[in-house]
Amino acid sequence: MLALARGLYFCATLLLFGSSAFTFLLRTRLPMILPLRDAPLRWALLLLALITGSAWLGLAAAAMADAMDSQVVMTTATDTLFGQFFLGRIAALLGIGLLLALRRGKSLIVLLSALALLLPAATSHAAAASPAGFAAIGAITDAVHLLTAGFWIGGLAVLLLLFRRAEPNMLLALSLFSDWAMVAVLLLVMTGLINGASILLGQEGKASLLYLAALGVKLVLVAGMIGLAVVNRFRLMPKDQETPIARHAAMELTAGLVVVLVAGLLGQLQPLQ
Amino acid sequence: MKKLVLLMLLAASPAFAHARLTSSDPAADAKVKTVKTITLSFSEKLEPAFSGASLLDAAGKAMPVPSSVAGKVITLLPMSLKPGRYKVEYHSVGHDTHRITGSVSFEVIP
Repeated sequence: MLALARGLYFCATLLLFGSSAFTFLLRTRLPMILPLRDAPLRWALLLLALITGSAWLGLAAAAMADAMDSQVVMTTATDTLFGQFFLGRIAALLGIGLLLALRRGKSLIVLLSALALLLPAATSHAAAASPAGFAAIGAITDAVHLLTAGFWIGGLAVLLLLFRRAEPNMLLALSLFSDWAMVAVLLLVMTGLINGASILLGQEGKASLLYLAALGVKLVLVAGMIGLAVVNRFRLMPKDQETPIARHAAMELTAGLVVVLVAGLLGQLQPLQ
Repeated sequence: MKKLVLLMLLAASPAFAHARLTSSDPAADAKVKTVKTITLSFSEKLEPAFSGASLLDAAGKAMPVPSSVAGKVITLLPMSLKPGRYKVEYHSVGHDTHRITGSVSFEVIP
């Protein structure tokens, strides 16, 4: 349950950040593309993030205390690093809700959704396994990992919405996404390798088979996503083949969300025995 | 960049993703003559609200012992221990919220 709550929280905040960031980019770089009517989707993602974020706190509190009551949850929220960052995340999400209701502050929504997404990095495995005990190193690489994954997955969701409304400037949008996504994926892979190496190689102990199996599933899916992205960028886009691009983008997004759920599980597993 | 990654990996000190016990004083299964302080050291900083330890005598009965949690260390301060076997049961929670439980036994000899 804890892994599921964690995975779903990341799905919601990755999509919230990525869709906000790419929509912001579209508005500033390609003003001829009319804004998407995506408010219901954003509200749904915000609600999902609030519910799963709160469930994550409750379940983590129960796991830490090996008991469950309101006092345990309060102590977790106020007296632990995880809880203090949780309060920061909830404040960021409530800020997004306020801005959505007021229909303003689009750039601020990008910033707040980035905060809601990256704050869990401070209490991640990567932060705990930082070189020489400097938790900030692992926290920063994990935050970059989350933000770049968010841009990729959330951007794909925006592209699919544009495909659905038969956007006349689709190729321009694809080209813009492709340029930024290439940088994002490069950073995503680099930070993933650094995190994986510091968690598994920079520590004493034997790697857990379950952890390695989940990591293997994640890597295979990410490799498949990168393969689809390469085909889209270098084979289909030059030929203006929008239909297969849309199909591949939908497959990439689905695989991406499965990867995030697997990552939610990885965060709960003991990497080393 | 490659050099930076390699440097970071080579500079990595032993650390764990969860707060695991790395050492204790007295050590596990040690035979000691006197014990005034028991310290348990962990691989990462502990959450004091959810970490702690208790001292049990040979009969498995918990003894009233002052304890504190600070940084990566749990400290127990038994006033004096009579000869016999003792067990320290601990539960540790790091910033990653994972709870680990375990125990360390030692013996006080005359």
